[in-house]
Amino acid sequence: MVVSLSFGPASLSPAQLWHDLLAGPGAHTADSIIFWQIRMPRVVLSFLVGGALAVAGVILQDLFLNPLTDPYVTGVSSGAALGATIAIVLGLAGGLWLTGMALIGGLATLLLVWTAARRRGRIDVYVLLLAGVTASYLLSAIITVIMIHANDDLGAILYWLLGSFSGRTWTDVETALVAVPFMVVPLFFTKEMNILLQGEKRALELGVDVERTKVVLVVTAAILTGIAVSVSGIIAFVGLIIPHLVRLLVGPSHRRLLLLSMLMGAALLSVADLLARTIVAPTELPVGVVTTFIGAPVFVYLLRRGRHA
Amino acid sequence: MSGLDTSPSPIVSVREASFAYDPERPVLKSVSFEVEPGDFVGVVGPNGSGKSTLLDLIDGVLAPTSGTVLINGRATRQYKRRDMAREVALVPQHFALEFDLTVREVVEMGAYCRGADCSPASVAAAALGKLGIAELAERRFPQLSGGEKQMVVLAQALVQNAGVLLLDEPASSLDVSHQLRLFELLKELNADGLTVICVLHDLNLALTYFNRLLVLSQGGVAAWGPAEEALSPEVLEAVYGVRAHVHHHGGRTYLTFSPRAHGQARGRGHVHLVCGGGTGSSLMRELTDSGYEVSAGVLNALDSDEVTGRELGLSMAVEAPFSPIGDDAHAENLRLMTAADVVVLADVPLGHGNARNLDAVQAAVQAGKPVWVAATLGDNDPDGLAVVLSGASLRRYGDEREVLQGVAQWQDGDGGSEPGPE
Repeated sequence: MVVSLSFGPASLSPAQLWHDLLAGPGAHTADSIIFWQIRMPRVVLSFLVGGALAVAGVILQDLFLNPLTDPYVTGVSSGAALGATIAIVLGLAGGLWLTGMALIGGLATLLLVWTAARRRGRIDVYVLLLAGVTASYLLSAIITVIMIHANDDLGAILYWLLGSFSGRTWTDVETALVAVPFMVVPLFFTKEMNILLQGEKRALELGVDVERTKVVLVVTAAILTGIAVSVSGIIAFVGLIIPHLVRLLVGPSHRRLLLLSMLMGAALLSVADLLARTIVAPTELPVGVVTTFIGAPVFVYLLRRGRHA
Repeated sequence: MSGLDTSPSPIVSVREASFAYDPERPVLKSVSFEVEPGDFVGVVGPNGSGKSTLLDLIDGVLAPTSGTVLINGRATRQYKRRDMAREVALVPQHFALEFDLTVREVVEMGAYCRGADCSPASVAAAALGKLGIAELAERRFPQLSGGEKQMVVLAQALVQNAGVLLLDEPASSLDVSHQLRLFELLKELNADGLTVICVLHDLNLALTYFNRLLVLSQGGVAAWGPAEEALSPEVLEAVYGVRAHVHHHGGRTYLTFSPRAHGQARGRGHVHLVCGGGTGSSLMRELTDSGYEVSAGVLNALDSDEVTGRELGLSMAVEAPFSPIGDDAHAENLRLMTAADVVVLADVPLGHGNARNLDAVQAAVQAGKPVWVAATLGDNDPDGLAVVLSGASLRRYGDEREVLQGVAQWQDGDGGSEPGPE
């Protein structure tokens, strides 16, 4: 699966791939440059983003005990989008600035939503959910206002908002690599996450430090989302559908669920990106559109088949 | 408050603990009691009396707004959750888990607080075996019946291996056989040293199984002590507003209830019953439950109607066992009858021993008092004693419903002038 992802508008044969891979990034043939400077960062990035969104989706769905939750409900993505929009309007669209602004926007939103949901030292997850959704709408409204006044940059903003891996470089990959430790964090909380499926009160009764667990998990999910959005824009559906899909396949127990979600998220998004850039080549579809096209029918099929077959 | 002052230090100590979500409406008000290791305590009280909240305070899930709750001498708020779960396990009343986990996975969660002390798989298997539900291990939890879920959650709590087990109405979703199995099981666990504190609604189960009962009412302790003392009719009337009757039967003590409290009963008039040998017991009960003041006589002591009447707390004219009616009892009977609004003569076997009861009834007829007589009276009357009964206010009834209806109509005002069914 990994190997097949290295196809693109300019095809590289498997033998050529292997040759380029062995030759390393130092070679200066045209194929090698396509492979190492264009194709490879994209594939790696889609892997990382897919994994991050899927893990964030698992965390938030199970924390909110709400199957319709996706990584964007915390408002972090909208915050990141606003940050990116401002960066674009201010003419700071060059790689790191945009990513940095997006991250700052995302984390600032998290802080805001977090403060709203905090009462007597406890985080009320329902308030968190509502505050997140509300913040999303508010921030989207602000983005809309900015877009109306930003005639010149409208295309760039829209392109970013729809989510895409086009033109991403190794710098973006480096940013996305920061997500890797945060993808590992929830693996240390699989028991707590399983117990929390019975609700917060029962988790307390069974000895779980619920508040600490919530803090760690929500912050982790928010950072994963923030990083993913900051490097690739808002890619729909991965964080919503992958956890459901994997739950149908292996059940709700978290060790398997998290690991497989990470892999499936990575795989889905890289396949989706492959399709996004080849299906209507030489133009590109937004990758979020492709994820939806792949995910929806597969999900409906699995839902109908159930886990019992 | 504790029965023995020389007893070991309490495992659970609740000291003037109060709790309120909203300061205007406290849930618990200065509750104090102590539970010793190995106690088997039932907690009863009307809906909304604070029972479940009390369990949450003991488990430290909620902190008292004032006062303290100590577990093994240490305040609950000083415990980390994981340490608390090693001391106190709770079986909640409602348990929601929509996710498709297996029973084994659910039960293993109980081992979380024990960390590396044990193998979750083996303690879970042991707990399921102990409860006799080992065969459920690989079933999916959401597909179980309500009763099976209850047992699985109990297994989950047992896996915690805590010294105190709290249960919140564990019997409510169980049928009678599973209820008994559960309580027998709790007794066994208790005999092995587990301290049990169980909230329940069924007062008879509470009486049967628990050594000590805590009766909560409106957030306060209404009674606390040995089961039969805690559930005295006085306490029950004050707490539940019902009339409670204590019966002793087959070595067991049990309670039955009448819907109205004493105070209200007086309002509906006074019915005097002449009965015996069990012919009047159900009418006594029906009339009492309908809110009448009921008296009876003359009955021989230990006659089954006399026992029922005593348990219901009726005024009665009573003669010594197996003795004919003497002057004192007869006079008392006449007095009660005079005070009554209606007299009912049940289908009692007639003989010379109770012939004076017929005289008393006839006196009531002559006094113009409404008198209902069982239609079948006289079927068991070898000496033809029933002939003394005659008069305008005499009416016959076929079954007890007619009496109840007749008395009710009489109460409504026009029944007295209506002819009887015959």
